[in-house]
Amino acid sequence: MKPTNTQNPEYYHKVVDCQYACPAHTPVPEYIRLIAAEKYTEAYMVNWESNVFPGVLGRTCDRPCEPACRRVRVEEEPVAICRLKRVAADNKGDVKKLMPQGPFTPNGKKIALIGGGPASLTVARDLAPLGYEIHLFDEQIAGGGMMRSQIPSFRLPEEVLNEEVNYILDMGIHTQFLTYVKSLREVLSQKYDAVFVGTGAPRGRDLPKLPGRKEGDKFIHIGIEWLANVAFEHTKSIGEKVLVLGGGNTAMDCCRTSRRLGGKDVKVVVRSPFEEMKASPWEKEDALHEDIEILDNHVPLSFEVKDEKLIGMKFQKVKAVYDDNGKRQLLPTDEPEVFLEADEVLIAIGQENSFPWIERDLGLEFDQWGMPVVDAVTYQSTLPAVFFGGDAAFGPKNVITAVAQGHQAAVSIHLFCEGKNLRERPSPYTNLVSQKMGIHEWSYDSGISIDQRYVVPQAEKTITLKDRKKEVELGFDVPIAFKETQRCLNCDVQTVFTADRCIECDACMDVCPTSCITFTANAEEPELRQKLLVPAENLTQDLLVSNQLKTGRVMVKDEDVCLHCGLCAERCPTSAWDMQKFLYSVTKAYQMPAPLPQIQK
Amino acid sequence: MKKAINDFIVRFANVNGTGSASANFLFAKTIFRMGIPVTPKNIFPSNIQGLPTWYEVRVSEKGYLGRREGIDLMVCVNPQSMAQDVKNVKSGGYFMYDSTKKLPAEYLRDDIHYLGVPMMEMSNEAFSDPRKRQLLKNIIYVGALAKLLNMEVEAIKVLIGEQFEGKAQLIDANMKALQLGLDYAAKHFDFPLPFHLEKRDLIVDKILVDGNTACGLGAVYGGATVMAWYPITPSTSVAEAFEHYCKMFRIDPDTGEHKYAIIQAEDELAAMGMVIGASWNGARAFTATSGPGVSLMNEFLGLAYFAEVPAVLVDVQRAGPSTGMPTRTQQPDLLLAAYASHGDTKHVLLLPASPKECFDYTALSLDLAERLQTPIMVMTDLDLGMNDHISEPFHWEDGRQYDRGKVLSAEELEHVGKFGRYLDVDGDGIPYRTYPGTHPTKGAFFTRGTSKDEYAAYTEDGAAYKRNMDRLLKKWDTAKSLVPKAQLYQEKTNQK
Amino acid sequence: MSYLKPLFKHPRLPKNKLGYTLKEYEGSLSTLCAGCGHDSISAAIVQACYEMAVEPHKVAKISGIGCSSKTPTYFLGNSHGFNSVHGRMPSVATGASMANKDMQYFGVSGDGDSASIGMGQFVHVIRRNLNMVYIVMNNGCYGLTKGQDSATADQGSKSKAGSINPFQAIDLASMAIELGASFVAQSFSGDKQQLVPLIKAAMQHKGFAFLNVISPCVTFNNNPGSTKSYDYVREHIEATSTLDFVPEMPEIKASYESGKSSRIALHDGSLIQLNKLATDWDPENRISAVNALQQARAKQEILTGLLYVNSEWKDLHGVLNTYHKPLNRLDESDLCPGEENLLSINAGYR
Repeated sequence: MKPTNTQNPEYYHKVVDCQYACPAHTPVPEYIRLIAAEKYTEAYMVNWESNVFPGVLGRTCDRPCEPACRRVRVEEEPVAICRLKRVAADNKGDVKKLMPQGPFTPNGKKIALIGGGPASLTVARDLAPLGYEIHLFDEQIAGGGMMRSQIPSFRLPEEVLNEEVNYILDMGIHTQFLTYVKSLREVLSQKYDAVFVGTGAPRGRDLPKLPGRKEGDKFIHIGIEWLANVAFEHTKSIGEKVLVLGGGNTAMDCCRTSRRLGGKDVKVVVRSPFEEMKASPWEKEDALHEDIEILDNHVPLSFEVKDEKLIGMKFQKVKAVYDDNGKRQLLPTDEPEVFLEADEVLIAIGQENSFPWIERDLGLEFDQWGMPVVDAVTYQSTLPAVFFGGDAAFGPKNVITAVAQGHQAAVSIHLFCEGKNLRERPSPYTNLVSQKMGIHEWSYDSGISIDQRYVVPQAEKTITLKDRKKEVELGFDVPIAFKETQRCLNCDVQTVFTADRCIECDACMDVCPTSCITFTANAEEPELRQKLLVPAENLTQDLLVSNQLKTGRVMVKDEDVCLHCGLCAERCPTSAWDMQKFLYSVTKAYQMPAPLPQIQK
Repeated sequence: MKKAINDFIVRFANVNGTGSASANFLFAKTIFRMGIPVTPKNIFPSNIQGLPTWYEVRVSEKGYLGRREGIDLMVCVNPQSMAQDVKNVKSGGYFMYDSTKKLPAEYLRDDIHYLGVPMMEMSNEAFSDPRKRQLLKNIIYVGALAKLLNMEVEAIKVLIGEQFEGKAQLIDANMKALQLGLDYAAKHFDFPLPFHLEKRDLIVDKILVDGNTACGLGAVYGGATVMAWYPITPSTSVAEAFEHYCKMFRIDPDTGEHKYAIIQAEDELAAMGMVIGASWNGARAFTATSGPGVSLMNEFLGLAYFAEVPAVLVDVQRAGPSTGMPTRTQQPDLLLAAYASHGDTKHVLLLPASPKECFDYTALSLDLAERLQTPIMVMTDLDLGMNDHISEPFHWEDGRQYDRGKVLSAEELEHVGKFGRYLDVDGDGIPYRTYPGTHPTKGAFFTRGTSKDEYAAYTEDGAAYKRNMDRLLKKWDTAKSLVPKAQLYQEKTNQK
Repeated sequence: MSYLKPLFKHPRLPKNKLGYTLKEYEGSLSTLCAGCGHDSISAAIVQACYEMAVEPHKVAKISGIGCSSKTPTYFLGNSHGFNSVHGRMPSVATGASMANKDMQYFGVSGDGDSASIGMGQFVHVIRRNLNMVYIVMNNGCYGLTKGQDSATADQGSKSKAGSINPFQAIDLASMAIELGASFVAQSFSGDKQQLVPLIKAAMQHKGFAFLNVISPCVTFNNNPGSTKSYDYVREHIEATSTLDFVPEMPEIKASYESGKSSRIALHDGSLIQLNKLATDWDPENRISAVNALQQARAKQEILTGLLYVNSEWKDLHGVLNTYHKPLNRLDESDLCPGEENLLSINAGYR
């Protein structure tokens, strides 16, 4: 195998599993260490710089970082990364003065943002400090998009959302709320230098063909529409018996909101097996905790209406069968149809994009599914001045993805407005700093906590079910948050190996608690992986292979379960091993200078 | 000279290596068999062959068996020491010598009696084998003494029969030599002498035995399985006795396997190291040495004290300092042993006063060492160890269990939360220990001579050190309740 | 914080036939200098015990004093250890072995501990052919007292301070063969591929198995001019053979070049498979082994590998013909002759 090129920033980046998995590549270990040091403001700013909505995401993120967390591979439960983010938000000081301070010197360029959700707001934040004049259009009364309309307040208090939306709007963004953009042509005619479309996936899927759908229409609602009506207080109650169709997070939000609006017997009915539901496990747990029954393997057959009133639904029971490729099929069982009583039904079986306001003769191409053709790197449409991001670009995902795409779209818009090549994108900012202080002393906390994941406390059900605005999760208090931060393995503190210093004393190999290091004769990767002290069977994790050493062997480190405990470097007599903190920051259109305390340029 | 019954001293002056020891013992043992308290002492040089050696027998009906001044009868068969021997005879006393050669004039005193017996001449006439001539010359003087001191001839003959059981030729020769002596004395001297023997029944069931044999036997009864030692006078015969009785009792009759291991070590350091290693690993082990050996063992005694490993040491003391007088008795090791090793150490010493106590204390010391997890030293001396003493007979209570001390089994370890090797669980200062190999995951600990905490982890913490030292002192207090009560002897008749 | 060893282990760490992973054979974190050769030897012991699937508690570790003697803390944490006094490990090991013949004894010593203060005990434990593995972690200097030359420092070797050692070195391996050690090997801490099978074979050998392992002192004796530095040893090492330890008699499959391959059977039928590199050397011939060592020395080479083995000689338990059951398991019924015998003994003293 060739020696690993650690000059490629993606090598070490990949070692930081959480950051690598995060669509926005938020430097997770960095802010967790700041939380441990009680530097909540700084921790918040590390987040804000990267993901724009730390308070929102600290409560609602889909957390792709957590399943990726290395802790899962050596223990069981990941670090509660998401909830630690909230700790930073909950305990921060005055962050506003650390943000870019307007008014910004205008650069003479004008940008329109269609939709006021996370993608658009991210573009706004990245471009405003550069002097762009930004006009934001949204049909709702306030910014935030689906964060406001679809995420219930008991999960995301309005104040938290308002605060973070306003940080951006206060940068001098021209907002036009309660404005539904009807025509892209009209927008383009306003002489904007670029237009960003961040209109989300606004249409909830329906079951139009199911018998009884029309007859029962009064009692049947589309989940996301119903949630928006609740959020904007058009809807204030629901019947006692509620069926929620669907197994995603929207379904969970629907059923839990129903419990707060008068639903007493609320059931979630889903086609797939419980384990395969799309909802996050913690969302399912919370629903179960609120006495909501989840019935899996039920395929809806009909809405039952009697005397113009919905009385319930019929379902066919199915079972999941998998073929050799693991592909699932839901086959009906012999069991009789199931009738479930219902006063109202919420359909939460998915969302779709919808662009009725974009004229199809503008030169902006759409594909066969009615989605705009968007470049996956530049987020540019086939109409050069029009960019897409968030759910509007590639279909429904989540807030953190929308933010990540917003950053990239902003970079593209800036390059576009400056007449530069959109493909020549700036490299991420990286640096690598030794953490060595002395014997046994590192400037990061190298001790490995064996604690199990701490549970976030929740408010009493008796209280939260009565008030839909009462936040259920209380967040970690500071002492528990500290203990949880200690579970972080500091994967960004890299084990950096310098082959020409190595005297091959084996000390690192012997001391490594997780048997990651092997000195052996080189071979091709598949063979080398088998030759290690413990065969490197996790192919998603790389091998760090050194240059050839004096005895002709190479040092091979399997990154898989490295604890970043620093013992290899501690026991290395020649500093061939060093623990170096690796910072990887996705370059934004506007790169934050200070206050990021750990970034020294 | 005043008449005295059963109260006199006879000293034999011999040449080392001439076989006088058995003849002299025959003399003493006969008196013992006559029911009269007697105590023989070997007074010998640190030498194997050729230097003067003495055997002194005190007879005391009243039971005074220590050495006293004044030789009533000197039997001198060693020309080399004759000048000194003549001087040592009490005024009015007797001097028996080999009159084959004329006694030089300078040895003639006018205040003592001379008993000339031509031992060499008689022996040469009676026996042809040169080695026998030398040996049997000694029996001739025993014969003469028998007549002069009114010894029971039958008792002598029984003893000769026992001594040479199965060797008819030797018995005959000895009997012949005895008779020669008897006849010579009867013919040439007035007998009995004013001091002489009369049969008594004062011995009852007592035995005549040396302390070293008793220690060796005590170790066998006490269950010692490992003995490591380095030869040193006057302790060597402890090891020999142990081996003797092990061979008698500890060899599996079917397989010939030994239920003991005796190792002659390269030095006393190693001997003590082996004892400690074996005791640490759960065997009962002991060593025997004398002062210079104890000096060398100081290092290991400190380790055993501080690491709390059982060890048993039989110290047969001899005259110091340094090499001192290796074959002379003294009790110079008491302080050395009591505080052996540098630092704050206090050792448990047992001081036997008789062969019976040598036996008892050696067996007991193996219990105490394991109970207290510390070295136990049985302090005897050359006199008690190498000379025969009249003693109460040995006794063993059948069914007596060895006290193996606080040792946790695998089952017990299962129920112990966190095992603390140096944790004072019972408040007596004695912690619990485990043998190596007991349990796959519990009870292992590191034994070390460095300071440690309750869980055997190395520490230099002042408070932990003090706790440990205080506990060792508490253990010392516990030891006081376990050792035999001190016996104070007093001469009551002379008390005013 | 890197003075504590994390408790996590690799989730797919292989297990031996007892179901133990390597972890069960490890000890606590070393407090020796970073890069110390001794740590590598500790790791080799861990590896060997793991591969041999010995129950950790059936091993006892005994040492004297010095850097090397500290190492038993760093391996086999579930085994009893005894850090005795300087130069006296052999006697403690002898006693321990006498008490229980059923355990595996590892004696760990250093060049000061064995070649100087403990020379007396070292030579005598060899003579007795005690059934143990005796490892000297040989770095040619006194580490704990900051780098003075030891008795195994080569004449002419340069210390870190720059002084040249004027005295002859004691060659422990030659000496062990001379004194009748029944298994003698030499190795290098930096060569686990050789060291691990040697330790395994030594464990299986019934008798005194001596391993002289050159183990560089990174702090005081790893300088240019030292003959015990990593670089010097690597340049001057000359292996007698490559070897494998085969725990059970296998079906013979591999074919080795004739004249170069050799199998040595140990008492229990296990095998040492040697692929000889040195010529004119027969590991079962004492004279040839001594010659090979002397010739290597003349060429300033360090001969490593298995040097000599004799599996015929009786070990100390064999010589003493001790009971088949360990002596520490015998009780009153085995050991005490009882009052009746005492009565007849008393009679003999009347």
